[in-house]
Amino acid sequence: MNATRPSPLLARGLEADLVRLLGRDAVLTGADRLLVYESDGLTRYRGAPAAVLLPGDTDGCAAAVALLHDAGVAVVARGAGTGLSGGAVPAEGAVIVGTARMNRILSIDATERRARVQPGVVNADLGRAARVQGMWYAPDPSSQSTCTLGGNVAENAGGPHCLKYGVTTRYVTALTVVGSGGRVCVFDRATTLHGALDVVGVFVGSEGCFGIATEIELALAPAPLEARTLLAAFDHTHEAGDAVTAILTTGLLPAALEIVDGATIRAVEASIYAAGYPLDAGAALVVEFDGAGPGLDDELNEAAELCRAAGARDVRLASTADGRAQLWAGRKKAFGAMGRIAPDLMVQDATVPRSRLAAVLRQVDEIAERHGLDVANVFHAGDGNLHPNLLFDRRDADQVERVERASAEIMRVCVDAGGTITGEHGVGLDKRGYMRLVCGADELAAMEDVRAAFDPAGRFNPGKVLPDRGEPIDRRERRESVGRAVELHDPADFTVTAAAEVPMHELQRTLAASGQWLAIDGPFVDDRSVGAVVAAGDDLALARSLGAVRDQVLGLTLLDGRGRVLELGGRVMKNVAGFDLTRLVCGSRGRLGRITRVVFRSWPLPREERFASLTTHDRPTLAAAIAALLAAPIVPLSVEVGGAASDTFEVLVRLGGSPAEVAHGAEVVERVLDRTVSWLDPTAGRERQRKLRRSVATAGARRVVTMRPSAGAFASTLDLLAAEPSARIWAIPDQGAAWVTGTGGGPSSDDTRAPEVVALETSVVGAFTPSESP
Amino acid sequence: MTAPREGFRRALAEHEDELLTCVHCGFCLPACPTYLRLGDEADSPRGRLHLMRAVAEGRLEPDSSAFDVHIDRCLGCRACEPVCPSGVPYGRLLEHARAVTRAHHRPSFVVAAVLAVMRRRTLTRLFGWAARALRGSGVAALLADLLPGRLATPFAMLAVTRPAVDTTSRTYDFAAAADRRPTVAILRGCVQAELFGHVGRATARVLRANGYGLSAAPGQGCCGALHAHAGDLDGARALARRNVDAFVESGAEYVVIDSAGCGAAMRDYGHLLEGDSRAEAARVLAARVRDVSELLAEAGPRPGAAITMRAAWDPPCHLVHAQGVDRAPRSVLDAVPGLEVVEAERATECCGGAGLYGLTHARLGNAIGDDKARAILATGADAVITANPGCQMQIAVRLRALGSRMPVRHLVEVLDESYAGRGDASANPEEHL
Repeated sequence: MNATRPSPLLARGLEADLVRLLGRDAVLTGADRLLVYESDGLTRYRGAPAAVLLPGDTDGCAAAVALLHDAGVAVVARGAGTGLSGGAVPAEGAVIVGTARMNRILSIDATERRARVQPGVVNADLGRAARVQGMWYAPDPSSQSTCTLGGNVAENAGGPHCLKYGVTTRYVTALTVVGSGGRVCVFDRATTLHGALDVVGVFVGSEGCFGIATEIELALAPAPLEARTLLAAFDHTHEAGDAVTAILTTGLLPAALEIVDGATIRAVEASIYAAGYPLDAGAALVVEFDGAGPGLDDELNEAAELCRAAGARDVRLASTADGRAQLWAGRKKAFGAMGRIAPDLMVQDATVPRSRLAAVLRQVDEIAERHGLDVANVFHAGDGNLHPNLLFDRRDADQVERVERASAEIMRVCVDAGGTITGEHGVGLDKRGYMRLVCGADELAAMEDVRAAFDPAGRFNPGKVLPDRGEPIDRRERRESVGRAVELHDPADFTVTAAAEVPMHELQRTLAASGQWLAIDGPFVDDRSVGAVVAAGDDLALARSLGAVRDQVLGLTLLDGRGRVLELGGRVMKNVAGFDLTRLVCGSRGRLGRITRVVFRSWPLPREERFASLTTHDRPTLAAAIAALLAAPIVPLSVEVGGAASDTFEVLVRLGGSPAEVAHGAEVVERVLDRTVSWLDPTAGRERQRKLRRSVATAGARRVVTMRPSAGAFASTLDLLAAEPSARIWAIPDQGAAWVTGTGGGPSSDDTRAPEVVALETSVVGAFTPSESP
Repeated sequence: MTAPREGFRRALAEHEDELLTCVHCGFCLPACPTYLRLGDEADSPRGRLHLMRAVAEGRLEPDSSAFDVHIDRCLGCRACEPVCPSGVPYGRLLEHARAVTRAHHRPSFVVAAVLAVMRRRTLTRLFGWAARALRGSGVAALLADLLPGRLATPFAMLAVTRPAVDTTSRTYDFAAAADRRPTVAILRGCVQAELFGHVGRATARVLRANGYGLSAAPGQGCCGALHAHAGDLDGARALARRNVDAFVESGAEYVVIDSAGCGAAMRDYGHLLEGDSRAEAARVLAARVRDVSELLAEAGPRPGAAITMRAAWDPPCHLVHAQGVDRAPRSVLDAVPGLEVVEAERATECCGGAGLYGLTHARLGNAIGDDKARAILATGADAVITANPGCQMQIAVRLRALGSRMPVRHLVEVLDESYAGRGDASANPEEHL
């Protein structure tokens, strides 16, 4: 008698229209049966939707959103409902659009190393499907066995392996989005090379406030063939923290560095995921190295030694898949295992500079103790991303309030340490209030305006991410003035702040002195300043191996077209506090304002480097070489091609990493190219790079050609180029990007933006400038 | 109305602490066959637990049809349990939830009839006699072909239980040469006894051949699994009491079971009879319940003659998920030389048979079963091997629906055949059972 009553919140006519559109079984109504949709993974927040729709494709989703928006009804996208910030809890009267039936992997293209998926595909399912073809999808949130890629995009999900491989945003290459009013737009990152804003970049992490992604294109990489894992037990958490610092500052680059504290260990060991972590340990550190195989054991042993030196009392190594899975199991299932020791759980999420981790943890423990709460800590130590889990029982109102207060204090402590309020779980409903700790009024206004550009009527996930207008700002003084031109933070942080006018080569020199470097390289970088490199965003030689320019930018200061000084992002490795406006600024070519300061992430200098050079006159030989390199089971630092059809072409492959890794890479390169290549040391290699790039770097007239990132597409571009005797090309085939100088016909620039995307960009620019000037 | 409602609410509220262990992480979603196919949170384990908790908290009426529909639509495969990091005892909570819904929504005629038949041994035997007559005469197969859709299902299920080979006169006994192993009593069960007698006899033969002594447990009957799954906990308890008495009486060291569903149910007798006068005996007995594969694995088991065949091993949910018996069946199959064992895609997913599910939720059950059958066909296997009567029937029926005559056999049947082929198989022509 209860279940069939129509929800009072959804108008009858609208329901009937939706049923006609999607079918009866895809339109769920009735208060009782919708009860299960009142919460996501964070059960503190509840709010049932007026209805739940389960469309099967973009068209169904778009038509449904059009109907709802016309009727003035708000829409909340929901994947597997595993989010931990209340992001999928609908505002009153809102309708949930679930992606569970949009769960098909549309294609996996081995030659382009790309996958196209619907948003309801489970992260681990894509991983499995990619593995079959020797590839993998790197971001691996702890909930990867159940969370969906649509949700990953909405939250810009991270995961343990993001230390080495980066978070979701690095891998999203294109999106089909159902936007305001049900309008369908295709956002393609390749268009940024033609002057488009990085709309994909700002969409990722927008927590469902900008629209619903109904098709997602993702970059895949060759699956690491081998991995080695160690588990080190410490008496104290700070010792584990010291080990992390020691490992990173010696130039090792683990795939993951994870710490669980004593309370977590005890919870996990009581669960079926018992991994044999020592029950009386104060902390356990999981370190993983992955790659092609050679050198991994050496790296693991080196890390084991560093752990012992930091005070580890027990170090276990695992090289088999089973053994590694065991060591990981306890870490990955820690969240669920908490259910064993308390009825409710407040999973906190914050990021701090790595060097502050130990101090912050002490403060977190103090806060919990002061409020009489049990806390169990799990963290991605390599990223400085901590997850204090506050244990409580929601039936105890007083305890709930103490959890509330303790959470607020933890946030404050993290922000004061130079950190941010969320590293990967998102702001959602839970952290809206804390946004005022990290953003000023101007930044919040800019975010609001960008949101309005996507969703003028405010119909996508209202009431999330941004605090209500008029709430007082609580941001402390900006401590990071641009006192010095280059400010290198604690070496263990791997972050650096630079004034925009600092020349890039100077910044690289400063970093090199402390064994670090900035992973930005390309034809234009040498002559540019920091600000220019970021504004252009087109130095992409390292994009496949270490990320694009935008992936190196943690934060920046923008003097925008309205005269505001916007402090965007921060100086921590992972940051999803609010919309990712730094991505918009990267590559915006000054359209949004002037960059005055940039915070980059830096990387340990590769311990060894080598360049391979292959020269040929013959286009088919060149195309075959590129095909072989792109299909090879290694990821060189960069693969670039330069030359002219009328002259010769040269392929330069840059290998970097541990000596064993580089030696292995060299072997693979020689094997797959099946011919003699000449090997160059780093100095000679860089000199050769400069020579190869000179024509496009210095030419006044050059045009960008974008293509699919496959050897085949590159070969076709070369064929077109052959008709142009005076043209010279420089290309990074793995990014599908080429720069051509010279005149005549030949390959044309292909900016594929549809008019509605251009219009959207214009309104986004309008969020930063009174009116766009050409 | 309020008073009884309160009573049922209390029934679930008593289990609130177990409900609270669910932290809403959602790890169970991809393990759930109904969620995977319907995409509705309410048809996921997390969703159902959410509904149960809402009833316990008084936020949802226990007689609401939302509660009934989604609790009823669960297969009870318990694939959610092994993946639950919090260890929520889902299967047990489901039975309590069903006891609540059952009080408000009368079970369908078919379900009520089946449960009634299984409750009384005379009726069970009568049913068995009639069913075997239909099966043996070929009428069942005929009706399965002639009747439309749902009406045909029970006859199709019956028809496929007919053993491919007549093994009634099969004898062998390697006991003389074997280590003496403990004495065990076999649960005959209801469907298993009436329609899969050949499996029961094979179980006895292969156990003896591996040195186990057999003792009878004459008072035994249906294990009550179907009743518990349908929320008829009182009915289940009555049957459990009878079995506790019978097996305690038998003096056997282990209760051995060749039907995974019954094994899972008997392993839960301790919980089922909590607060009962036989509670302690039930707990002790439950700890002595073993799947036949476990005892065989413990014994080695001794190798048989070669059977050259490619077989898809399909682990029953109530073996792998509910009892956590995973490796034992594989080591039993390893004792058969020449047998190539493969696993289909998603082999540990439910076949959709799920007790009476095929009768109560034919469309969804068939869809799940068809996926299973397609996955099995894709392995190119010559036969399917499983270890539960319900699965045997469902998989066979779905295979036939897809036009395949691939045989579906019980684990012990295969081992039995392998043993019967040994050179010394007829050395001791003693007839057992």
